[in-house]
Amino acid sequence: MPNAPANRHPAAVELRGVQLTYLDADGLPLEAVDETSMSIAAGEFIALVGPSGCGKTSLLRLIAGLTDPSRGEVRVFGESPQEAQRRKRLGLVFQEPALLPWRSVEANISLGIELNPSQTHSPTSVDELLELVGLSDFRRFRPAALSGGMQQRVALARALAIDPPLLLLDEPFAALDEITREQMRYELLRLWGVSHSVEAPPRSAVLVTHSVNEAVAVADRVLVMSPRPGRIVADIPIDTPRPRLPEHEQSDRFINHTAMVRAALRTPGANAVPLERVGAA
Amino acid sequence: MTAEPIRPSAVATRRIPLELPGLGPALAWIIPPLTAMILAAIAVEIWVRVADVSIWLMPRPTTVIENFFVEFPRYFNEGLHTLGVSLGGLALGTMAAVVLAAGVAHSQLLERAVLPVAIMVKVTPVVAFIPLLIVWLGYGWEPKIAIAALITYFPVLINAIAGFRDIDPRIHDFFRSVQASRWEVFIHLRLPAAIPFLFAALKISVTLSLIGAVVAEFFSAGQGGLGSVIFFEQTELRLHKVFAAVLMLTVLGVTLSSAVVMLERLISWRLDAPVTAS
Repeated sequence: MPNAPANRHPAAVELRGVQLTYLDADGLPLEAVDETSMSIAAGEFIALVGPSGCGKTSLLRLIAGLTDPSRGEVRVFGESPQEAQRRKRLGLVFQEPALLPWRSVEANISLGIELNPSQTHSPTSVDELLELVGLSDFRRFRPAALSGGMQQRVALARALAIDPPLLLLDEPFAALDEITREQMRYELLRLWGVSHSVEAPPRSAVLVTHSVNEAVAVADRVLVMSPRPGRIVADIPIDTPRPRLPEHEQSDRFINHTAMVRAALRTPGANAVPLERVGAA
Repeated sequence: MTAEPIRPSAVATRRIPLELPGLGPALAWIIPPLTAMILAAIAVEIWVRVADVSIWLMPRPTTVIENFFVEFPRYFNEGLHTLGVSLGGLALGTMAAVVLAAGVAHSQLLERAVLPVAIMVKVTPVVAFIPLLIVWLGYGWEPKIAIAALITYFPVLINAIAGFRDIDPRIHDFFRSVQASRWEVFIHLRLPAAIPFLFAALKISVTLSLIGAVVAEFFSAGQGGLGSVIFFEQTELRLHKVFAAVLMLTVLGVTLSSAVVMLERLISWRLDAPVTAS
């Protein structure tokens, strides 16, 4: 997958002055996401890092159309997030596998294909997905019989089954042990590149993560968020060529990139490329 | 809300099987209570004989058991009648409760409108409605089934509502992310999630339905059923026959409860993880 995405496709995600305010128990406004504008190109892999409670997950839910912004506009492939949902263009993975415990592995993977069936256009075959995530031998197992890493692989396969052009990942590996977590990173990159539909835009991804290493290892751009109210304070391009390999994590370039991200996390705005606002150019 | 759902048995602690040397696990469960019952019957038998208790007050257990077998076809047939009423009421009450719960789980307005009324009906002693129902529905099986249904619907209603709402919000997010319809969410998510809750309620309701059937039969005496037998034989002071009919009811109750437990095992066997990976 090239680092420079093709321009003939509309932006995968565009946020224009998006703001999210919750009301707390006493009815007082609580600002979760400060005014945010950004754009994610088709084929781009974005990592969103920031301290806990900074609104990373809120931002992801805004893009997924699971939460509506208090102000501003969210566009996914030039449409509303609800339209993107309807056309099954979003592949969601959460921190917990969130599988149906009464369904087998293969029936869990095909869930997204079965639901809203009139919109399933080019599903990936379940056999192929089982092969891709290495769970062919476990297809008839229930999730409870699998390890955490295997369950999360099922969740990834479920998200990919509808061949979505946008993958939204909310700390998908946070609950896994370190060895599995590092292994899953490269598995994710491999799966990200697998797509069947030729006309569809190259697949984009937004990964919310706590791990600076994870962000730098997978992303084309790392967006750093400030503590609540969440605001994108740095936009750090990662120019390591693809395909990314575990060995890259030992390189000077990798260490430089992580240092930049860490610095941005410590003092918002410092040592980072200034954020280019959409529409300001 | 004044009614709390009964937690499903899935969360209950696992029982450690009782081990009796030389017996299979099934026998190990049956033998101790059976022994206790036989000992109690022997004690009553001795008491009735030694104290020379009048048979108008307390029949001998041996007489009861003898009569139970001598008149078995009668008790069996009347038992079938009671069973039919009980199952009919259970089916009607459960179906009505599940449909109502599905509506309540989807609509706050419906919840506010319906739930207080359902609770009011529940706290009112349902047997008070029997004379009315007989006036409206006659002396046939209809009022009896209505009573059995009225007495059984409540636990199912409360638990079905709890079960339909007890869904993983992340899984629900996934359903939303592909714009699954409400019907798809219900069929693929809410209904399977509610099954353990429904069985917890059914275990309560199945015995309640038997109570409802028998009480309703008291009021329409002579129209069949074990309740009717008990009422009639009591007026004739044939207490051994009253006890024999009660014994038949016990058999029915045990059968019905076991059937629910077996059905639950059958279904949860399909729902649970059958195998474990290392």
